[in-house]
Amino acid sequence: MATADVVRKPVEEPSLRRSVTPWGSFSWGYSDVGADIFVGLGLVLGAAAGASNVAFLFAGIVYVCIGLAYTELAAAYPVAGGGQYFVFRGLGDIFGFIAGWAVLLDFTIDIVLFAWSCIDYLSKLVPILSFVDHPWVHFIVVFAVIAGLALLNIIGVRESSAFNEFVSGLDVVSETLILFFGFLFAFQPQLLIHTMTFAWPTTFNLMNGVSLAIISFVGLESISQAAQETQRPASVIPRTSISLILTILIFALAYSNLALGMQPWHAIPPDAHGHAQPLWKYLGNENNNGAAVAVLASYVPYFGTLAAYYVPVLGAILLLISSNSGVFGSSRIAYAMSGTQLLPSIFQRVSKRYRTPVVSIMTFCGFAIVELIFASLPSLSPAVRYTYRHLFRGEDGITFLGDLYAFGAAASYSFVFIALIALRLNDSQSPRRFKMPFNIPFTFKGNRVEFPVVAVIGFFGIVSILVFTMITHEIGRVAGPLWILFGLIGYLVYRKRKRLPVFKSQPHDWRKAQINILQEAGELEMMDEYLVNVKRIDATKRAAAAETIR
Amino acid sequence: MRNLVRSEGYARARLVTGALFACLGAAVIVRTFGATGLSAQAIPALVLGLAMILLGGFRFRDYVMAKRSRP
Repeated sequence: MATADVVRKPVEEPSLRRSVTPWGSFSWGYSDVGADIFVGLGLVLGAAAGASNVAFLFAGIVYVCIGLAYTELAAAYPVAGGGQYFVFRGLGDIFGFIAGWAVLLDFTIDIVLFAWSCIDYLSKLVPILSFVDHPWVHFIVVFAVIAGLALLNIIGVRESSAFNEFVSGLDVVSETLILFFGFLFAFQPQLLIHTMTFAWPTTFNLMNGVSLAIISFVGLESISQAAQETQRPASVIPRTSISLILTILIFALAYSNLALGMQPWHAIPPDAHGHAQPLWKYLGNENNNGAAVAVLASYVPYFGTLAAYYVPVLGAILLLISSNSGVFGSSRIAYAMSGTQLLPSIFQRVSKRYRTPVVSIMTFCGFAIVELIFASLPSLSPAVRYTYRHLFRGEDGITFLGDLYAFGAAASYSFVFIALIALRLNDSQSPRRFKMPFNIPFTFKGNRVEFPVVAVIGFFGIVSILVFTMITHEIGRVAGPLWILFGLIGYLVYRKRKRLPVFKSQPHDWRKAQINILQEAGELEMMDEYLVNVKRIDATKRAAAAETIR
Repeated sequence: MRNLVRSEGYARARLVTGALFACLGAAVIVRTFGATGLSAQAIPALVLGLAMILLGGFRFRDYVMAKRSRP
């Protein structure tokens, strides 16, 4: 192959400017994943009660494995697209489509769930926005937020990188202060053990809690998104990703332990029956589970007086950024999938006036609106509530969104682990500046490769979470697979009509693609290393072929 | 923002917060261990403490690397 020609060939396609700093890369990931705990904490406390910290620990271990996998893949293949691209490259077209379609489900849920939770947080300061007391107002405002974000994305307005970095920085400082004050002045290990002993959930509820806890760790696509726009990503991404993974893990574990073992600064209101209730129960009830971090912060000694006023606003801003990243991310992934003929070309249609992928934005915001209606219906209409109670164990709106979010994440992450193993075996020539730890070296098809043990652990972890989701979520077990099935049917029809291979992959020149990727990323040393590896492997193959002929 | 991130003051601030995280992690481990001993229920709190210490370690490493790379 004339690799030298490929290197010399100028890049014709317009590409994203690589101007993201290490802090920018961290804050990009943080504003996506960091917001998840604002939603996840209340849901998990409501489901897993005294074992919420165990649920977060289990999901957190799986998340660390996923984070390491994304770090390795994003540093080796620094292109936007994340899990969808890795699976597409490692496992072929149809699996690339399934992974991308699952990611698209997550992005559409992301739009609704975070817009919903954003209004929940604001309702702590503006009570008329409360979902429990004023469901119609809540519905209309969330609808308006989604419509507004769609409009802003069509016009082409995004929050600036500097604003993102500022909000992320402010939130890291704020969450750290909440934890410091909480652990220093109110955390009681005896109370933690007491809660864990006397409020330990049933196995079913624990599985439910674990499947919801994974939503606190969703959004790692942003790591690869940042890789596309970071200079020298192979060295920057591993550094920022490890820090991001640890920070998010600490916040999730710390909040859950604090909620179970904290002595509140002031009295907690009694429940509906007039009985005293512990803090974790108060945080997990329907009134507070959408804004649990703000409520928890208000009960932290000293600092809580101030936190009660600004945490709802800060949380709402972070959640709004996350919701916007859902609109932006879904349109960008659909655009990319359309470019590789996994989705119809209509998703690449760009508005003449604003030069944005208007069809993609409208389509996935439309899906988000449908999900919003489905999640809000039980509260808006008593007749529907009755139906939901019988069909879906009376799940509330935010739990329904959490169900689907967990399903989409678990499905796409499962494929990412398999893709990582496949790429380790079939693309050993691509240099990897970061590798997941604990590897077993062996020879595969004449090449020395390393088998990633952590990927196998992570795969079984995420598959178990997928199974927990299917067992415990009445809606998730139906709506999630239906989404995949609906997408697959569309994919098969589209590929057949276009006379493209349906179950097989189209031919791809991955070598040319990899050289272009590394050249665009400014990773010239890696590109040289890649070319040397390619030549060595080709020489080995030629020698083996000559030996066979002889 | 970019100048702030590149400044030595920022690296020092991260080092200080890293040290605070490490101290808090150590306090969580000592207090939990003191209250319950080595029980299964103490594991999530102990993991939290270890993760905090690890984060402190990473920030210290980043600070040393940043200091070395400066002329």
